[in-house]
Amino acid sequence: MDLFFISLGIILAGGFFPLFLKRQFLWMKAVSVFGIATGCLLGLIDAGRHLAISGNLYASFDYLSAFSLFFTIDSLAAFFLVAIFFVSFLAVIYGFHYMDKPEKAARTAVNFFFFSLLIISMALVVCAGNMITFMLAWEIMSLSSFFLVIYDHQKPENRMAGYLYFVFSHVGAMFIFSAFGLMYGFSGSFGFEGAAALPEPVKLIVFVLAFIGFGSKAGVFPFHVWLPHAHPAAPSHISAVMSGVMIKTGIYGIMRMYSVLGSHTMIFGEIVLVAGMVSGILGVVYALGQHDLKRLLAYHSVENIGIILIGLGLGMIGVAAGQPVMAVLGFAGGLLHVLNHSIFKSLLFMGAGMVIRKTGTSAIDALGGLIKNMKITGITFLIGSLAISGLPPFNGFVSEFFIYMGGFRGVALDRTAFAFSLLGIISLAVIGGLALACFSKVVGVVFQGEPRSVAAENVDEKGPAMLFPMLVLAGACILIGVYPKIFILMAVKGVASLELGYGRIPLDHFIELTGNITRAASIFFGVFLLVLALRTLLYRGKTITRSGTWGCGFTQPTVKMQYTGSSYAASILEFFKPVAPLNEDHPAIQGRFPAKTHYHSHVHDIAERYMGSIIVRPVQWVFDQLRWIQHGDIHLYIGYILLAIVVLLFFV
Amino acid sequence: MIKSIIFWLLAMLLAPFFSAVILKVKAFFGGKKGPPLLINYYTLIKLFKKGSVYSTSTTFIFKMGPMVSLCSAVTVLLFLPIAGQAPVFSFNGDVIFILYLMGLGRFFTIAAAMDTASPFEGMGAAREAYFPIICEATMFTILVLFYKLTGELSLAGYFSGSQPAELWHAAGAPLLFVIMAFFIILLTENSRVPVDDPATHLELTMIHEVMVLDHSGPDLGLIELGSFIKLFFFSTFVARLICPFDMGNPILNTAMFGVALLLVYVAAGITESVMARYRMDRVPQFVLTSFALAFFATVITLEFVK
Repeated sequence: MDLFFISLGIILAGGFFPLFLKRQFLWMKAVSVFGIATGCLLGLIDAGRHLAISGNLYASFDYLSAFSLFFTIDSLAAFFLVAIFFVSFLAVIYGFHYMDKPEKAARTAVNFFFFSLLIISMALVVCAGNMITFMLAWEIMSLSSFFLVIYDHQKPENRMAGYLYFVFSHVGAMFIFSAFGLMYGFSGSFGFEGAAALPEPVKLIVFVLAFIGFGSKAGVFPFHVWLPHAHPAAPSHISAVMSGVMIKTGIYGIMRMYSVLGSHTMIFGEIVLVAGMVSGILGVVYALGQHDLKRLLAYHSVENIGIILIGLGLGMIGVAAGQPVMAVLGFAGGLLHVLNHSIFKSLLFMGAGMVIRKTGTSAIDALGGLIKNMKITGITFLIGSLAISGLPPFNGFVSEFFIYMGGFRGVALDRTAFAFSLLGIISLAVIGGLALACFSKVVGVVFQGEPRSVAAENVDEKGPAMLFPMLVLAGACILIGVYPKIFILMAVKGVASLELGYGRIPLDHFIELTGNITRAASIFFGVFLLVLALRTLLYRGKTITRSGTWGCGFTQPTVKMQYTGSSYAASILEFFKPVAPLNEDHPAIQGRFPAKTHYHSHVHDIAERYMGSIIVRPVQWVFDQLRWIQHGDIHLYIGYILLAIVVLLFFV
Repeated sequence: MIKSIIFWLLAMLLAPFFSAVILKVKAFFGGKKGPPLLINYYTLIKLFKKGSVYSTSTTFIFKMGPMVSLCSAVTVLLFLPIAGQAPVFSFNGDVIFILYLMGLGRFFTIAAAMDTASPFEGMGAAREAYFPIICEATMFTILVLFYKLTGELSLAGYFSGSQPAELWHAAGAPLLFVIMAFFIILLTENSRVPVDDPATHLELTMIHEVMVLDHSGPDLGLIELGSFIKLFFFSTFVARLICPFDMGNPILNTAMFGVALLLVYVAAGITESVMARYRMDRVPQFVLTSFALAFFATVITLEFVK
């Protein structure tokens, strides 16, 4: 047995045994966390080994004696496994202190069980070697995460979120099924190898179907509607795993499909790039308009999936244009962003989880000043915010830098490639600026200033099992940001198994780029030390006094006067009004002594707003017309089955 | 290398002087004598001698703000070819690093402002987060154009030696748009009229000045120094483009560069003297003009450069 399956077995055991231990709440959590964490750690070691030696693992089992379950780990799968096991390892440790309600012991046990299933199924998805295996793992993944989303099922909005997620993941799966069905219809085998022989137009249809299916999992606009509902509903460490790694299996699917189809025309890159630009910009615009911390983070997943797709799209354009270096820059940048996003997004979700645990609210405008009492949470959240905004010297910058470099290679090309690369670069720049605006809002409103409500006062940040993962993730943000070499080489190796139709490309260029990033970061730190020294010198022996904030002449300031998240984002949202319609509800102020008033704003997601009227209702209408089939008479149902068998016997 | 470092130090030393030129020009237009040209040095020395008052609402981030913003300004200056000299550091892709590093400085300026819990500073912070987004789009569009023309992704590839002349040679007409766009960015990024009024007395209408209201003493001095350097940084772009010649003689080059730089500062001063600040909701349109210019320049260059 390979270490990979052993680690999955340990994870499953870690999830399974606690189901019988619910009377000993602490023991149950300990066993579960220990089992799952050990399994993840082993899996992480194994995935790292696969990446290092690039030996592929093959394993095959018979399933129902009709299909074979076939697993293979190539370097692309290994790269995703690294992200999956790393984030899951930390998330489950976080869960030890996060799941702190003994009265909900049974539910907690079930949560850990489905969590272990989710980790295993994610790992199996990226290792699946044929369609049957893939869909089996994919469905387990969707279902286990569905049960994790409805953890708090007493709240109607959580049930609604679960329902929405269920519908989306299954409609998405249906698209993937139809893509696989088309492939099977032409190649006659369940393996992926036959896909390369498909006729060119069919390849495009297969890719578009698969892109919609995988895109709905990844959260590509406009298939992201479930995401901002499901992430806030799930417990925070589950959101971290779902947003950090689970949605990345959609990205994996898109990359794998592109690879097995082996069609290197421009149109694939154009589709992916445009989808990436739209998701990226709209994702961050909607994020700016959110009032709920976890919903805001969920929209940032849409944004980051957009950035990843921009990278992949540029890579595909590079392949189509016969530019291997551009292709690898785009793909490797996108792939590294997969890892980076899984790190900083899970860090941010864990920070948000800590805030919600300790204050009891996730409303951004009710918080404030938390960093004074939550030092570690605040600082790690700040690091995560800087990283997700793509700022140096943190990891988000590295992957965006590589995607930019790919884009610049693209603008040197002819017209279509030039135009798409230009748009890609401009959207990346705009996304970067908007993300900075959004996270300066979150840090500024949630962690800085003065508490805006009683809930945010006198909080603490107890729970070492919650703090430890955040520290590790923040460290990883800085490590990758300053020494990206090994991580870029990992990503380049992952790209190698896409078989993009060229030989080995020399690594010197990439090593030079990572060396530059390291150098630039060290220069920055060097200058920072100089400035620090200067400041220390200037403050030697100076009198420091403390007093209230200068109120510009106003002597009775209250915390209610602070700028809120809504007011901070208002002018930017005004700019994006056509794509982000804003509903405001506030009665006009009247009279000399105005009465108490209120203000409420809501930014509409146009996908959510129009999906109902454009897609759901027509489909519903068609099904309504077919309702007579579903009459409830059991005899006729048996007749249907008989009829189906007869038809199949005669015509197939 | 040594020479580059000397120029870098000189640039930091002289940046406050150039900023005073703007004040002098404004005074001239107002029919006043104006402050002495060394006023900024006096201000800095005065600030450095003082102690500080910190708001009880603030945390360590408030102290980080001035340091990081100065640090990012000083670091980006290391990559800038001053007076045509080779920069201290340069690598393929350094422009991307530079633009994002300025983003880091901006993040900490905003964070320091949000730290004070002051409604006015929040207001300024929101504006500071908003307008540069458009500037970034413009900058990257110009980068695409320059990359197309030179095949380089570093400031050294655009502004050192005879490179600006090469740019003019490759695409003269579009470069006029680029200069305009750069000038608009210069005004926006450095909080000058018509985007922001550094001399106004009403906090509600400020952007940058309101964000640093609570900073005092050496901290405020560091911020001021950082903004002088930042203005110098952007002015160099414009100066090198309006005066692209390479005389072959370092002294002549430096003198010519100094004159061009003065011209840019005078132009900024004249703009401030003859224009009023735009209403806040008009500012995005003004900044978008730069993007339109840059985008147009880039697209038409596609026809010239193959």
